[in-house]
Amino acid sequence: MTRSFLSIRALRKTFGAFVAVHDVTIDVPKGEFLTFLGPSGSGKSTTLYAIAGFQDPSSGDVLLEDMSLLSVPSHKRNIGMVFQRYTLFPHLSVAENIAFPLRVRRRPDAEIKRKVADMLALVRLENFADRHPGALSGGQQQRVALARALAYDPPILLMDEPLSALDKKLRQEIQAEIRRIHRETGVTILYVTHDQEEALHLSDRIALFREGRIEQIGTGEDLYLRPASEFVAGFIGNSNFLPAEHLQTARGASTIRLADGSIVTGIKTTTSFGQGQRVRLMVRPEAFRLAPGATSAALAVEIIDTAFFGDRRRVMARTAAGDEIDVRPASDAEGADSATTSGKRIFFDPGSAFLFPA
Amino acid sequence: MLLDYERLGWLRVALVGFTAAVAAFLLLPVVFIVLLSFGSSRWLAFPPPGWTLRWYQQLLGDPTWIDAALTSARIAAMAAMLAVIIGLFAAFSLVRGEFRGRQVLRGLLLTPMVLPVVVFAIAIYAFFLRIGLAGTTVGFVIAHTILALPFAIIPITAALEGFDKSIEDAAIVCGASPFQARLRITLPSIRIGIFSAAIFSFLASWDEVVVAIFMASPTLQTLPVKIWGSLRADLSPVVAAASSLLVGLTFCLMIVTALLRRKLSR
Repeated sequence: MTRSFLSIRALRKTFGAFVAVHDVTIDVPKGEFLTFLGPSGSGKSTTLYAIAGFQDPSSGDVLLEDMSLLSVPSHKRNIGMVFQRYTLFPHLSVAENIAFPLRVRRRPDAEIKRKVADMLALVRLENFADRHPGALSGGQQQRVALARALAYDPPILLMDEPLSALDKKLRQEIQAEIRRIHRETGVTILYVTHDQEEALHLSDRIALFREGRIEQIGTGEDLYLRPASEFVAGFIGNSNFLPAEHLQTARGASTIRLADGSIVTGIKTTTSFGQGQRVRLMVRPEAFRLAPGATSAALAVEIIDTAFFGDRRRVMARTAAGDEIDVRPASDAEGADSATTSGKRIFFDPGSAFLFPA
Repeated sequence: MLLDYERLGWLRVALVGFTAAVAAFLLLPVVFIVLLSFGSSRWLAFPPPGWTLRWYQQLLGDPTWIDAALTSARIAAMAAMLAVIIGLFAAFSLVRGEFRGRQVLRGLLLTPMVLPVVVFAIAIYAFFLRIGLAGTTVGFVIAHTILALPFAIIPITAALEGFDKSIEDAAIVCGASPFQARLRITLPSIRIGIFSAAIFSFLASWDEVVVAIFMASPTLQTLPVKIWGSLRADLSPVVAAASSLLVGLTFCLMIVTALLRRKLSR
């Protein structure tokens, strides 16, 4: 028996010959904020819709507290959901929208009234109770949708890219709201997005989807600092990839030769590579330094361009082999201001770099 | 815009004049009939030598005219109700359904609008004679429902196409059964379309004459049939009065529709 709250077991969904979801298995503890992150068509939304009951999986199971949900029709699953598009009922006021799930459950009027007031307070729209959806902004509509989805205290809240129609500033505002509401209600949230910043900001854990499979699942730190594959490293945060040749690995530290012939030692590796195998070295833009450190490796480059971004600078460099490198040192870092004139070498700590098979 | 009204110059005068001429051409016969219905000439002379309400008194004092108007209203109301109900089901399957021949079915449902009415009238009359529905209210309502159906299907289909199905899905996740979701959320959301469908299909039956002539019997006559019959028997200003009332009700319904649409779409 599983101990987890929500359990997705070997879920598979095919559309004809196309496999949208390949045997996805996830265990979600109660109260977790789990984000399905991935490019469009990676199977994250299909998985969410299978949990909601709008897609019948081809095989596999979805268990809530050890009970299968698959034979339960959508309207009896008691799940909350916020959609990508605005789905408020256009002919009902904000208060009536929030009351709707309670009315279909035939709750007493007094309870409905109290709950609607609580929910309006939760999303801070107390003064909008009598407005109609047409008179609300996009952000307000999604907050009402959130209130409606939580009004009946569902054990799970599904959110399908709820902020994708909003502009960036509003998105960040509502992200903060969602975090607060998750903290205050303790509801288990499954959140779908293709925006890695949003995923990092909101989630306890992130499941990164790729072509219907989960490429890696873990905290934002896990995915950023310990990416399991080149895809993860490329999707989360910014990355530089340099082609290299693996020479040898001893005690988890590898030595490689870069395309310009320079040797780098001491790169932490968990995979085993053969001698002479083609690999790719990944270094985060902020891991590069413009001044040498105690253990740093050096790269000979030509500086193409620099720009100032307040807290960071951005330096575009090019290696002798023609690979472009994105460098983001802190503005006050040593050597940062002289990069334009004197920068012929950039440095990085091999311990912060990763090796992936080419 | 290439054809900007503001930039038309002297052409603007020509355009306004042309528009006025077209409007006059369309409206003058109606105005003419209404004026004649108040004229005192027994022979529908124009301009009328004097004004009178006599023809309206005669009209309202004649039970056969009242009867015809009530029959019209009754048949139009039943046809409209049936057309809206069938139209709703048809619209759902045309918009939401995923089956082969959907476009063919859509075309088929709209044929009463393009088929020559007299062809349809003869066909359905011959059929009703055979099954014993000719001259009955049921037959009349069925025939008019078929004619009214396109006028119900078009606005409902348009409203349903403009309605995001995610809203219905949201209602289902909220705990409403698919049927409840449609009844309590989808139908009210497309009510403007349903309302337009009701008005248009009512009017399609209310002022229809060709099929009505075939469907009518001496005891079952709608207003347009009665007008047609009276015109052939004797040309009396009472016919003009009846026509004016027919036009008047149609006009009122169109105004009500416009007002309600404005109110509902806010």
